[in-house]
Amino acid sequence: MSVLKYFDLYFKLISAGVRAQLQYRFAFVMRIVGLITSYTGTAATMWIMLYQFQELGSWTFYEMLFLFAVAVLSWGFCIILFFHFRGLDTYILNGTFDRFLVRPINPFFHFMAMKFDVASFGQFIFSIGIFIWVSFELHLDWTVGKSLFLLLSVVGGILIQGGLLVMISALAFWTTKSEQFYWVAMFPARNLTNYPLVIYPKAVQWFTAFVVPFGFVNYFPAAVLLEKETPFFPENIGYFSPLVGIVFFAVAYYIWMLGLKRYKSTGS
Amino acid sequence: MFRFRLYWTFTKKAFLRSAVYRFDVWSRLGSNLIFLLMWGSIWTALYAGREEAGGVSFESMLTYIVVSQFLSGVNGAGTPLWEIQEKVRTGDISLELMRPFDVPLRYLFADFGSVAFYILTALLPLYTVMFIFMDLTLPSSWETWALFIVSAFIGFLIRYCIEMSFGLLSFFLVETGGIVDVFYFAMSLLSGSVIPLWFFPGWLEKMALYLPFQGIYYIPNAIFIGKISGAEILLSLGVQLFWAAASYLLLRFVWNRASQKVVVQGG
Repeated sequence: MSVLKYFDLYFKLISAGVRAQLQYRFAFVMRIVGLITSYTGTAATMWIMLYQFQELGSWTFYEMLFLFAVAVLSWGFCIILFFHFRGLDTYILNGTFDRFLVRPINPFFHFMAMKFDVASFGQFIFSIGIFIWVSFELHLDWTVGKSLFLLLSVVGGILIQGGLLVMISALAFWTTKSEQFYWVAMFPARNLTNYPLVIYPKAVQWFTAFVVPFGFVNYFPAAVLLEKETPFFPENIGYFSPLVGIVFFAVAYYIWMLGLKRYKSTGS
Repeated sequence: MFRFRLYWTFTKKAFLRSAVYRFDVWSRLGSNLIFLLMWGSIWTALYAGREEAGGVSFESMLTYIVVSQFLSGVNGAGTPLWEIQEKVRTGDISLELMRPFDVPLRYLFADFGSVAFYILTALLPLYTVMFIFMDLTLPSSWETWALFIVSAFIGFLIRYCIEMSFGLLSFFLVETGGIVDVFYFAMSLLSGSVIPLWFFPGWLEKMALYLPFQGIYYIPNAIFIGKISGAEILLSLGVQLFWAAASYLLLRFVWNRASQKVVVQGG
């Protein structure tokens, strides 16, 4: 099937999902409100923290807000596209995963298009609001080049975090567990990136740059945009963010397909 | 009539069941340590070589955050909120209503069991090592230790009652997502679990001192590092006891209304 056909199919599949979600309007609004409140809560925590201390690892409150908003924005898109991957174990255990194998389209694509979480518009609203606020406070000059770079690094961030979700889900092919790995590994680790990585021990920084490249989701790109230094790392390493995203996601996809082959061979 | 032996069986059962789900224990500890790493690094960077801030030395602050993460491990080891809500949603809770025990107490005693298992097998060994090898300040007198343990226990009860009351809201609301988020945010911030209240802006500190959340983390932590001492400790324990009673009444109230609702709906 051609790429265009896949696009067409993706939108058909998700629009059905969106319509279903909009049926429960109260729940829908509550979730968006809830998401915005809890992100505002993290931002408020940062504000209180810096109320006395002014700086965290030479990052000011507004710079940290910007860093946080980049993470929230890419995470929002990531939820829309990939968040349901963490629950692959449930599909496998219930036997409902098999329906993704009997259709004449790529199972990865089919599983991905199964869900489209509109409630993540909360992330979208929150981070756009923060971008506007912080741009005024820090007098950021949004040239075309900078805007484009922000956009590309958000794509990079989506691919990195999405890739990790895909890898975590692939674990289910081997261990029949995946959801738990998300909550005990990725969820807390993602929290680390809400703060500038420079404050962590060197080994942790190194790990988040080159093993699980969370650093490229927000820290490195934000450092480029805000012209901040990134000690221990080459200057402007953030420009590699989109590339890191593509490579990491490709690896994740490969692992997923490998797991899928294994799943078939067990023939459950 | 309170039948201790009946509820004690729930404690024992939960203890034994935790032993079966060992993967859960280790993974929970892993995430607890990541958060410890995060807050430890944040406070190290905030102090940035300063000896003291807000009248508290760097070692004491680091101790505060380590104790706080230990307590959040303790508080997080019981029945999670979503499990109660799931039981409400699926109607499983009605089965428990038919049995001859009190549901809020039954979960509390079960939590004692799983928490005890988690403390003994994971938290204590690890945090003991940390206290030996890191430059942290320990209370010098055994009275402070005892008061800390009492205070932490009352804090646990406050947290349990408030969280359970919130969980039971799902009896009345179809969707609690937003409210739960606000609740967790308020609890994590106003309890002083990550930022001690003395670093708050004045108005917010005042607000936090009028709320029950400070009894969960702030008071026990502050006792441990010696920020509050002497008669002040007794006053703080009094405040905690007051909130424990108040939140218990809240839980009773919510539970009575909730269980009536189940009867009306016919389970």
